Amino acid sequence: MTATTLRRLIVMGLIVLWEALPRSGLIPELFLPALSSTLVAGWNEAGEYGHALAVTLYEVAVSMMFACGGGILLGAIVGSLPRPRMLIMPMVSSLYAVPLVILYPVFTVWLGIGSESKIAFASLYGFLPTMLATAAGIQTIDPQLLLAARSMGATLSQRLVRVIIPAAIPTVLSGLRVGGALVIVGVVVSEMLISSAGIGYLISRYRTILDSPHVFAGVLLVLAMAITFNAGIRWIERKVAIWHTGTRGGESAAVEIAPGALQPAT
Amino acid sequence: MQPLANVTPLKPALRAGAIEVRNVGKVFKTSTQDVVALEDISLEVKPGHFVVLVGPSGCGKSTLLMMLAALLQQTSGTITINGQPIPEPDPDRVGVVFQEASLFPWLTAEENVEFPLALRGVAKSERRAKAQDALQLVGLDGFGRRHPHELSGGMKQRVSIARGLVQDPPVLLMDEPFAALDEQTRMTMGDELLRIWAATGKTVVFVTHSLTEAVYLADEVIVMSARPGRIVDRLQVPLPRPRTYDMLSGDAFGSLRDRIWRHIRKSA
Repeated sequence: MTATTLRRLIVMGLIVLWEALPRSGLIPELFLPALSSTLVAGWNEAGEYGHALAVTLYEVAVSMMFACGGGILLGAIVGSLPRPRMLIMPMVSSLYAVPLVILYPVFTVWLGIGSESKIAFASLYGFLPTMLATAAGIQTIDPQLLLAARSMGATLSQRLVRVIIPAAIPTVLSGLRVGGALVIVGVVVSEMLISSAGIGYLISRYRTILDSPHVFAGVLLVLAMAITFNAGIRWIERKVAIWHTGTRGGESAAVEIAPGALQPAT
Repeated sequence: MQPLANVTPLKPALRAGAIEVRNVGKVFKTSTQDVVALEDISLEVKPGHFVVLVGPSGCGKSTLLMMLAALLQQTSGTITINGQPIPEPDPDRVGVVFQEASLFPWLTAEENVEFPLALRGVAKSERRAKAQDALQLVGLDGFGRRHPHELSGGMKQRVSIARGLVQDPPVLLMDEPFAALDEQTRMTMGDELLRIWAATGKTVVFVTHSLTEAVYLADEVIVMSARPGRIVDRLQVPLPRPRTYDMLSGDAFGSLRDRIWRHIRKSA
């Protein structure tokens, strides 16, 4: 049996257990409603969930633009120029250890409880790993490649377009994966804390009235969103970085960033 | 690998370059002190000759090579190729092959070979044709579509040599090109390089740590000493061409290698 089929079996097994355990009464429906009743609950309130999903997706998309655009831009500057690096990197690294969620109440004071405060928080949250990965990607480019390009007469702009950018792509993509995942986390968490719309808000509201099937329907939607995002990034990675064999800087940077980055999520 | 017969002969007289190095010195300035890397280096390489630079680590042989390629500027003295100075890297006149293959991993072998042509905006079809010729010359016909990670160490260096030769420069500079290869591959690549050199008539300047490799490949071996880098000896290698494996155990070979080793031991 291959690892893939085994993985599929495990996922299927979990789905079956999700249905069977609550139905058999081993787990109370309040703790874990059966998959079918979760789906039915979601279906019955499809309009409400659809609206919440639209709000959340809008916040995620805008935050993603800020986080990834800003992260790549600033990461490229910090990665290629030593002076800004010396100024900014220590600050960014210490910021990394701070649970950024403490800033969210401040953002709601500044920006209100609408989408703006979520976007501000999620952008900041996803920005850091994207920037760090981009900076690392540019810093770890083999200087031999740049020397070789220079020996062939490449100008500075040719070196940037033909060497630095393609060489940095795998690391930047792995940063985007972590950064994008954190944007989703940031949006949902902030919706759960102080909010008036979005999936996080729905989950939080149904939780206060102990309506487990509706809570889990929201959880399912967030899961689907995260999985879709990850699959999308993987698809881009396969398209763009065929040569990337998984042993170079990119992967290791992602592994380094991921655990630390995901820690302050709650 | 392709047999010799497929190689298009080039005109050696037109393709070779004369190198002249006059009183060249190089000082690296650091914040605390100035380090003299090279002091008063003068040498000439005749067109079509194969010259090997050897010396202990830190003798500046790679620095000298980088200056021949205009990747570093000398602090004093002049360097000319066919009488002309080289103010900046010019792949039309000087091809460079580095220690690690230094191929771009996101490009295929032929795209790597085309790279210097693409920088100059050469049309795609002409680029492809020239890359094919260069790959054929180094015996990699049919491997053009592979990415570097799909090639062995020796094949990567062949691609690297093809890239250095694709613009048909008169001079080929090689900075320890085979250092990362295992010994068997290294021997094969040495023979391959001599074959390519004989077919193209390039002037080759080759840096190595291996004394055997130096004597085996060279018309002339230039021995350098460290701190500051200076030329301490120049040896003509009178062994006939083509060089063969059994020359390695001959007396002439042994005494040349011993003479180089005595210099290096003294200065190390």
